[in-house]
Amino acid sequence: MASSVLYHCPCLSTSPIPPPPHLPSSSHSFHPLHTLFFCEECDAVRCNRCVSVEVSGYYCPNCLFEVPSASVRAEKNRCARNCFMCPNCRNTLSVVPSDPPDAGDGRIVPISTVGEPPFFLYCSHCRWDSAEVGITFEKPTGLAAQLQKSEDSAPDSLEFERLKEHFEPLIRASSLSSSSSAVPSSAAHSHHLHSTSITAAASAALARDIPGVGKYNPLTRSGRGNKDRSANKDEMPDYKSRMDIITASKHGSGGGVTDIEFMSHLEKRSRCRYSRTAVGLQLGSIITEQPLRIPLHSKRSKRCPACTHILIKPEQKAQSVRYKIKLVAANYLPAITIALPHQVEKFGHASAEAAKRPYGKAAAPTEEEKEAMGGLVAGETYPFHLSLTNPLYDPIQVKLSVQRMHVAAPSSSDHSAAQEKARRPPFVVSLSTTPFSVAAFAEAWEYDDDDDILDDDELEARLSGREKEPKTKTKTVGVLEKRANVTIVGGEVMLRKEARGNVKFNMLVSYTYRSDDPSPEGNIGSPSKSKVPETKTFAFYTVVELGTIIPREESRIDIES
Amino acid sequence: MVVVKKRRVRNNRVTLSRPPPPQMSGTPTTPRSKTTFNPTTPPATSRVQSSAIHSSPHYTTTRRHSLYGVEDRVVIDPGSRIWKIGFSGEGKPRDVFYSDGRNGQPLWGLSRASDAAERAEEDRLLEIKVERCLRSVFHDSLLTDPKARKVIIVEHPLLPLHIKEMIARILFENLQVPSVSFASSHLLSLFAVGRITGLVLDCGHLESVTLPIFAARPLFPQIRTTPLAGSRFSSHLRNLLIFFGTYLPPTSPGPSGSLPAASRSVRVPPEILTDAVIEEVKTRCCFVGEALSTILDARENTPGFDDQSTDMDFPPSSDATPSESDYSYAGHDSVMSSVQSSVQDSSEFSVISHPRAPDDPRRGGGGGGGGSGENQLQALASMYKRHSTATDLKMSVTPPASSAGLGNGTLIIPGWIRERTAEVLFEGGDVDESSIAEIILDTLLKVPVDLRKTLASTILISGGTSMLPGFIPRLYSEIIRAIQPPPPPTRPPKPYNTVQHGHEKSSPPQYDRYATLRQLIPYFAVINNPSPEPPLSDRAKANSGKAPAFSPACMAWVGGSLAGALKTGGVEVSREKWDEADPHRDDDDMDMDLSPSKPGGHGHDLQQHTPRNILPDWTRIPLPSGAPPVIMITQSQSQQVASPTATAVGA
Repeated sequence: MASSVLYHCPCLSTSPIPPPPHLPSSSHSFHPLHTLFFCEECDAVRCNRCVSVEVSGYYCPNCLFEVPSASVRAEKNRCARNCFMCPNCRNTLSVVPSDPPDAGDGRIVPISTVGEPPFFLYCSHCRWDSAEVGITFEKPTGLAAQLQKSEDSAPDSLEFERLKEHFEPLIRASSLSSSSSAVPSSAAHSHHLHSTSITAAASAALARDIPGVGKYNPLTRSGRGNKDRSANKDEMPDYKSRMDIITASKHGSGGGVTDIEFMSHLEKRSRCRYSRTAVGLQLGSIITEQPLRIPLHSKRSKRCPACTHILIKPEQKAQSVRYKIKLVAANYLPAITIALPHQVEKFGHASAEAAKRPYGKAAAPTEEEKEAMGGLVAGETYPFHLSLTNPLYDPIQVKLSVQRMHVAAPSSSDHSAAQEKARRPPFVVSLSTTPFSVAAFAEAWEYDDDDDILDDDELEARLSGREKEPKTKTKTVGVLEKRANVTIVGGEVMLRKEARGNVKFNMLVSYTYRSDDPSPEGNIGSPSKSKVPETKTFAFYTVVELGTIIPREESRIDIES
Repeated sequence: MVVVKKRRVRNNRVTLSRPPPPQMSGTPTTPRSKTTFNPTTPPATSRVQSSAIHSSPHYTTTRRHSLYGVEDRVVIDPGSRIWKIGFSGEGKPRDVFYSDGRNGQPLWGLSRASDAAERAEEDRLLEIKVERCLRSVFHDSLLTDPKARKVIIVEHPLLPLHIKEMIARILFENLQVPSVSFASSHLLSLFAVGRITGLVLDCGHLESVTLPIFAARPLFPQIRTTPLAGSRFSSHLRNLLIFFGTYLPPTSPGPSGSLPAASRSVRVPPEILTDAVIEEVKTRCCFVGEALSTILDARENTPGFDDQSTDMDFPPSSDATPSESDYSYAGHDSVMSSVQSSVQDSSEFSVISHPRAPDDPRRGGGGGGGGSGENQLQALASMYKRHSTATDLKMSVTPPASSAGLGNGTLIIPGWIRERTAEVLFEGGDVDESSIAEIILDTLLKVPVDLRKTLASTILISGGTSMLPGFIPRLYSEIIRAIQPPPPPTRPPKPYNTVQHGHEKSSPPQYDRYATLRQLIPYFAVINNPSPEPPLSDRAKANSGKAPAFSPACMAWVGGSLAGALKTGGVEVSREKWDEADPHRDDDDMDMDLSPSKPGGHGHDLQQHTPRNILPDWTRIPLPSGAPPVIMITQSQSQQVASPTATAVGA
């Protein structure tokens, strides 16, 4: 039902021709115009999938504090000030003081404006508060720092540090031994001789390990052969866990007997542990009942992947929503919108139409009827309108051409090619290929005031005119209307009787523009640029989707009546 | 469906008739009383609190160390379903996310389309998704500049090469990272528990893989795999819920809304069991019970088992499991049978509400419902039901779009489903789909004899599916059970590994597959077993349950983080090397000029994506002299594969 025009970015394939639109993967090559960028250097469209992204600044979305990038890493990409999220509902928590001591004599007791010392975090949405899990604060500021201490000494990071200590001597030994001997495998061979042979060998193994080394070291296998003799020796000192899994499971977090008992007697509606979701499980102890520090956001600038010119660059300040550099495609490419007149009639002006219509059909159509009427019924022919809006300060000449999808269909094996043939194009699009002009964009105020009214009138007029047109067979293909910097061209799509699926076709839009002043398009190196910098042509692909075809059987005859 | 039924029934017979394994006969019998229920709240927070006093000096050094630097690498553990990402040097991943959304499909599966065009399309979609994931890793989760970060990819040993190439290509070309290193997930899991030798089982979403590792060298030729893993578990769970679950549609305004729950209950409509719901049930409600044979064996010793079973099973039925009295399955309820017209349904429910002896396969309702397969499935279900003490759970689910009522529907999950769905992972006997215990034993059979004892005593279980509570202890007991001598041939049915031949062929001496491993029994130890049995040897005692308490799913990532912090782990492939090895860098333009008719997108896939041998992979390690190098084989194979496609394109 949804009709749309999306613009092609060629980053996913090497050829500039877009993939045929019936492939599911093709939808990822097409993007709405407002998400695209335009690189002036390369004279090419860039999308969010191919631009290279750089972080130009971090800030907390809650307090808008700009976090210096040096501390972002240590603070784990989260706000280190007073911003917390509720562990239940992700609402922002607020710091609230305790009730003032109930002294009957006077209100002077809470001297400080901030409140009474045991502070806690409170969720105004779900009423969770941090006192529930025993977290209170002495001061209302620097809460994150107070909490981070406990994060740092979480069991997993302590265990991790211990592991690091455990492996570090081995690594050091291995780097020593490998530096003393040119061939890395010599450590493995000489480990019978060295006094510290065991650790050296193990560490050398550790340093060298990993598949692929064998490629450089064909002796791996023989090395292993040597090792086999020492199989029953422990080649590495035993690692003593800080908290081993048995101990942990006694606390009910390791999947042991206590866990099974707990699980098997889960009550019907018991709020079982929050961590028992797949992601929670994998995170281990991350998801606890602790208040969560709010994740930072970043301001990003994006560069063209080919020439590394900046395409968009925001202002540094977190409060600002402006950009220093902004090369968006909407400023370069004509904006195309699509309308299906029969849908406009049926939906946009359904009530007006119903009132206006002299014949029958006074009752507002039901949803179902609307669906049927607005849809594209197999075997019918529908006009459609493409309106092109020129963002440039110069008039452009536009040429539209529909890509013949099934000719360009992938040359797959013969078998599936035959299949393609069998279900030959389910629809035929007719669109005028003669170039037409779209007037230059002028500042909006020049024709803003009266055009709005005029627009509506025009639309109404056009619509009522359109109503009769199918009968009189007036022009539906070709330029229908020109005003300001908008040109509306009409096309027609003829659906075959047996058509199914979506009406979706690729359309090549090429436009020629004349740039008499060298700014800002003066430095565009267009591929088809001739020596004379008078006119330049730029071409891009779009995919036009008109909607889903309603199969013939379900079609309603009353559309014509 | 039929396959599932058959297999389960097969197992049913076997487990019923299995004689008691000697060491298990002493296990406590049926009345696992509910008074032992001891609600232990997770003490995670309290532990954090108590240990929060002093922070480790090492951590501060790490922090200073990495203040401005970008030497911390990005560690990515890309699964087909769940990705774990973070910075090296940290004890837990920064972010864990579903690769394709909660309801999404796994990124890749165990098979690829055979048709070249379909496969190309599949690959394109995969690349798009992988690219989206990788970009979000850097830009959304870690907020870091990919150009400044070296990357460690935790690589599953059976990750298809084309996916590995794809990941590398996206990292180098789209994100332009300076270097990528691939490290074996099994090895990294071992690092995370402070070892470099062990037998590692990774039970993930697509498959379970065992890999023996000695002195940090993975013995890749001894790798063993089975598709019994998370996705199989999910599909089995879905089937069980459709067959035996109950669904209460949302109450609708009007007279029908006042009906009691029992009369509203219907069969579970498949469309409410979205992947997200299944995932929810799997992760929040399921666990792994004790081996059924253990319970049964213990019971067979008690006289009068058959007569008293019903009484023994539900002694305090009315009060201890109140959920059963809340709603009745009501097989004979006339209102309900009007709701469900199908005979099959009502017979199913009557079966559930009147469990009978499991060895009576030809029973159940009108008998006309399903074939014998269905009846046997029901027999199995009723047997599980009788031996499960797990409570039934209610879960609120979104009703299907067509339903009339208001609010959410309720899904009732029988307790035995929660407990016994995991049986599917432990059912062996299939040549292609060995049970998880069997692949461990198969690996042990293959490793050199002098390593067996060492490896048997250092079994490490990692991977998300093994996070099911009770999985590891159960796996241990399954290993011991599988290794027991097969029952004497006077007992009619076979052990599981010969059960396919049925009753009639019982005379030849049985193939005792694991006889050579039997002497290892005292040495078996799972080093991250949370509740190990009393150890039978010193070595087992020293090992079992001694691993640090990292969650099994995270282990590979933690190992990767450790390797990154220690500046080891994996051969680095730098971007320069990648660019140099780009086989098409020079002739790309020429290609396009020469063949302008080439359809878009396809030239890309067929030409640019030819594997470059720059990425290290264990399949490319030259074998010892005598055998042809694998690399040559793969190359010639790929040529063979490539040539027909090339002709197809030409044609």
